[in-house]
Amino acid sequence: MEFLSYFGNVFEPISFMLLLGGTIGGLILGATPGLSPTMAVALLIPFTFHLAPHQGLILLGAAYTSTIAGGAVSAILLNIPGAPANIATALDGHVMAKKGEGAKALHLAFMSSAVGGVIGVLLLIFLTPVLAKWALAFGPSHLFWIAILGVTVIGTLDSKSFVKGLLSGCIGLWLSMIGYDDIQGVQRFIFADALTGGINIIAALIGLFAIPQVMEMLSRGRTITDIDVITVRHQSLLASFREMISNMKALSIGTITGSIIGIIPGVGGQIAGLVAYDQTKKISRDRRKFGTGHPEGVIAAESANNAMVGPSLIPLLTLSIPGSPTAAVLLGGLLIHGIFPGPDLFKNHAAVAWTFIDSMLIGQFLMVIFGIYIANLAAKIAQVPRSILAAGVFILAVFGAYSVQQSMGDVHVMIALGVGMFFLEKYGFSAAPLVLGLILGPIAESNFLQGNLIAGAQDGPAIYFLTGYLNLFLISLVILSICFAFWTTLKVNRLIALSKEAE
Amino acid sequence: MANVDYKKVQQTLAAAIVLIVAGIVAWLSYTREPAEAFLFPRYISIAFLVLSIWNFVRAATGMALVGRGMDLGSAIWLAPGLAIMTIYIFWMAKYLGFYVASTLTFIILFSIYDPSSHTSPRTWLARAAITIGFMAIMYGLFALVLKVQLPRGLFI
Amino acid sequence: MKKILAILTMSVALMATTTAYAGDYPERPIGVAVSYGAGGATDFQARIVTMVAGNKDILGQPIYIINKPGAGGRVGWNWFATEAEKDGYTMSAYNVPHFIAQSIKGGVKYSADSFEPIANWGADPAVVVVGKDSKFKTMSDLVAFAKANPGKLTLSGAGLFVGHHIAALQIEKAAGVKMVYIPTKGGGAAAMKAVIAGDVLAGVNNLSDAFRAQKAGSVKILGVADLERDKKFLPDVPTLKEAGLDVDNASVNFRGLMVPKGTPQAVIDKLSAQVPVMFGHKRVAKRMKAGGSPMKIMTRKEVQAMWAKRKSTLAELLKGL
Repeated sequence: MEFLSYFGNVFEPISFMLLLGGTIGGLILGATPGLSPTMAVALLIPFTFHLAPHQGLILLGAAYTSTIAGGAVSAILLNIPGAPANIATALDGHVMAKKGEGAKALHLAFMSSAVGGVIGVLLLIFLTPVLAKWALAFGPSHLFWIAILGVTVIGTLDSKSFVKGLLSGCIGLWLSMIGYDDIQGVQRFIFADALTGGINIIAALIGLFAIPQVMEMLSRGRTITDIDVITVRHQSLLASFREMISNMKALSIGTITGSIIGIIPGVGGQIAGLVAYDQTKKISRDRRKFGTGHPEGVIAAESANNAMVGPSLIPLLTLSIPGSPTAAVLLGGLLIHGIFPGPDLFKNHAAVAWTFIDSMLIGQFLMVIFGIYIANLAAKIAQVPRSILAAGVFILAVFGAYSVQQSMGDVHVMIALGVGMFFLEKYGFSAAPLVLGLILGPIAESNFLQGNLIAGAQDGPAIYFLTGYLNLFLISLVILSICFAFWTTLKVNRLIALSKEAE
Repeated sequence: MANVDYKKVQQTLAAAIVLIVAGIVAWLSYTREPAEAFLFPRYISIAFLVLSIWNFVRAATGMALVGRGMDLGSAIWLAPGLAIMTIYIFWMAKYLGFYVASTLTFIILFSIYDPSSHTSPRTWLARAAITIGFMAIMYGLFALVLKVQLPRGLFI
Repeated sequence: MKKILAILTMSVALMATTTAYAGDYPERPIGVAVSYGAGGATDFQARIVTMVAGNKDILGQPIYIINKPGAGGRVGWNWFATEAEKDGYTMSAYNVPHFIAQSIKGGVKYSADSFEPIANWGADPAVVVVGKDSKFKTMSDLVAFAKANPGKLTLSGAGLFVGHHIAALQIEKAAGVKMVYIPTKGGGAAAMKAVIAGDVLAGVNNLSDAFRAQKAGSVKILGVADLERDKKFLPDVPTLKEAGLDVDNASVNFRGLMVPKGTPQAVIDKLSAQVPVMFGHKRVAKRMKAGGSPMKIMTRKEVQAMWAKRKSTLAELLKGL
C-alpha cells in the first residue's frame, strides 16, 4: 500500500498543472491523424529536461494515456484511427456516429478507456513482480505463435466475407514485406523509390481509412441526401454510463485482453484493441451486430487499448526492457535524470516511481472529464457539410502522413494505398484486416527467422516451435480460433440460406 | 437482371486484378535471391495465390456479391476530385509549397462539391473565409505546436 | 492576375536574396534525421546533444529530430544520401561502423564518400553480456564452450552489419570459432531482452545499455571490445584483448552529425566550428552523464581520419563474407 502515501505529490501545484496540461494536450494530439502516442511522447521529451524527474514523468505518462484515448475521437467521428490502437474503435464507433450516436460512442470510448486504464495501472501497482517474470517467458517462438493467432483473427474481423477478409489480410502481410527486410537487410518488392523504407504503418493507416472515406464523399457529387448529414443526438452521461455497465462482458474481456497483451514485450498495444474486439465478438450473443454500430465493439476496443498502458510499463520499470516504442521513449525520460529502472527502482527512487504511477491513476479520471468535454466540441465536426469535410479530411490526411517522418514518399504511399483501398472496398474487401496483416507481418517474420536461427543451434525447429507448455497453449488457441472462424462462417451461411428460402 | 450481370462483371474483374497481383507476388518471391530473405514472402504468396484463386472462382460463379461496386454516376463525380488530389500531391505540394498548395486544393475541392450557388459573391466570400480559417488551424497545429517543417515552395 | 504575378516575382526575388547571404545561416530550425526509432540510444542521445542549439552563442536556431528507422539504419541513410536537401538545414546522425560496413556490404545508395562529417559526440563500445545465472563467468569460459560446440553458441545483437555484428565477427575470427549470431528487430533493447530472458546464451550490446542492465542485476558483462577498459563505468571488466582475443576497437559505435556531400563549404565550416561547442556544453555533459551515455567529442578533421581508418579495417574484416 506504499503507493497511497505518494498521492499528495501528484497534487502539488506544478505536478498537477503538468498532469492537466499533458492530459488535455495528449487528447488533442491523439485526435490528430498521423500523431502516434510514441511521437507525442517523443515531442515532449525536451520539456522534461527542465523539470524535476517526477514532474517530467507525470507529463510523459499523462501524454501516453491520453493520446491513446484521444485517438478515439478521430476514429469515431472521421473514421481515421490516429494510431493502430484505435483501429478497432473505428469499426463500430464510426458506424454509430453515422447513425447519430456519435456522442454516445465518444462517451463510451472515454469511459471504458478510463475503466481499462485504471485496472491496468492497478495491475502495475500490485502484480509487478509476478508479471515481470511472465513478460520474460515470451521468446521468439511464442511471439511467432502470437502473431499467427493475430492472423487467425483476420478472417473473422470482417463480417462481410470470410475469403475476402483473409485475402485482405494477405494483401496486408505482403505489403509489410515491402522494403528492406529488417533481419537480412535485403531489398524486397521495391517498385518505386518511395517504397525503399517500407510502408510506414501510420501513413498506411491514414491512407487506408481516410482516403476511401473522402472519395466516397466526393463520389456522391453535389446532391444533398439524408445520409450525408450526420446528426449528433444529445446523450446524457448517465445513460452512457448505464450502457457501459450493462455491457460488462465486453468491458471485462477488453480489459483482460488488453492487460495481457500489454505485458508481452514486442507486440505491444498495436494489436490489443483488435484482438479484444475480435474476442468480444466471438463470445457475444449479438455477434452479428458487430460492425453495424454496436456499442460492445467500442467498449471492448477502447477498454483494451488503455488497459494495455499500465502493464506495458512493467518490463520497463522492473527489468529495464522497454516493451514498446513508447516505453522506450519513456525510458529516455527516466535516463536523462539519471534514474535507471530495475528492481531497485522502487527502493532507490520510491518517490519518483510511485508518484509517476499515482499520477497515471489520477490522469485516467482527468482524461475522462476532459475527453468528454472535448468530445462534445469535436462532435460538431460531424455536422460540417460534406464538401468541407471531404476537403478538410483530405488535407489533414496529407499533413498527417507527411509529418510522421517528414517524407513526401509517405504521402505518395498513403494516397496510393487509399485509392486502391477505395476500389477494393467497393468489392467487399476491408481495411481493418489489411492493416492487421501489415502490423503482424514483421512480428511473425522476424520471430520466425530468429527462432529458426536459435533452433538451428539447439534441437531443430520442430522441437523449438512445437514443444513447451506456452507454445502448446498458444498453438491450441490458434487452432481454436480457426475452428471457431469456420464454425461461425458455416452458421452464417446457413442462416443466409434459410432466410433466402423464407423469401 | 441486367443490373446483376453488370455487378458480376465488375466483381470478376476486381477478383481477376487481385489474382494477377497475387501471381506477380508469387513469381517475384520464387525468382528473387537470396532465398532466405524471400522465405517468408514465399509462404505468404502461396496463401495469397490460393485465396485469390478461391475468390476469383466465387466471383466468376456469382457466389459472393459482397460490396456495392461502382456505378457510372459516382465515377463521373469522383473523377475531378481525384484529379485535383493527384495534381496536389504529385505536383503542387512540391512547387508551390505545402501551405499554398493546400489552400488552393481545399478551396477547389470545396467549391466543386459545394451544393450552394456558384454565382453569388456571398457564397464565394464564405468559402474563402472557411478556407482561410481551416488553413490557419492547420498552420497553428503543424507549424506552431508540432514544429513540423513542411516542404517550402515559392511563398512559405 | 497581375497581382499574383507581382507577388510571384517579388517572392522569387526575395528567395534569391536569402540564398545569397549564406552568412546568415542558420535562419530557421535545422533538422537532424536519426536512422533509428524514437527511444533508441542514438535517438535519445541526439536529442540531448542538440538541446542547446537554440542558444545565441551556439547556432541561434533550434535543432529538431526526424526519425527514419528501418533495416539497421539503411532506410534513413539512403534517404539522406539521395533525397535530403543540401542546404545545411538537414543533418543526419551517423553511426560508425554501421553505415560504413553496410556500404561495403552493398545494396545501399551511400558510402562514406556521400557524406561530410561535422563532429562526433559519443563512442559506445560493444560489450559481451550473458544472463545473470549463466554458466559463463569469463570470456574464456565462453570461448571454450564455443570451441567445444561449434555452431551452438547463440549470440544476440542489434542487427546485421552494425557494431554488435562486427564485434561478433571479430570474436569469431580471433578465437577461431563458429557462433550463431542472431540479429534482432527492435535494436539493442530487443537483443538485451533475449539475453535476460535466456532466449540466447550470450549477447553483444552497447556498453551504456549493458551497464544499466548489470546495475539492475539482470546480466553479467564479460568483456569490452575496445582498446582500453572503460574507467568511468566498468573499471573491473577486462577488454577482449586482455581476455586473450585479438579484437580491436573497430566495433565501437561512434555517433555524430553529418551533412550530405554538396552542402556549401561556408555552411560546413560554420557547423564544424559550432557543433563541437554545442556537444561540449556543460548542460549536455550533465544530461549525458546522468543517462550513462559515454561522450567522445571529436572535430571534423578527427572524424574524417576515423572514417578513413574504419573503412580500411572493415573492408579487410568483411572480405569474403
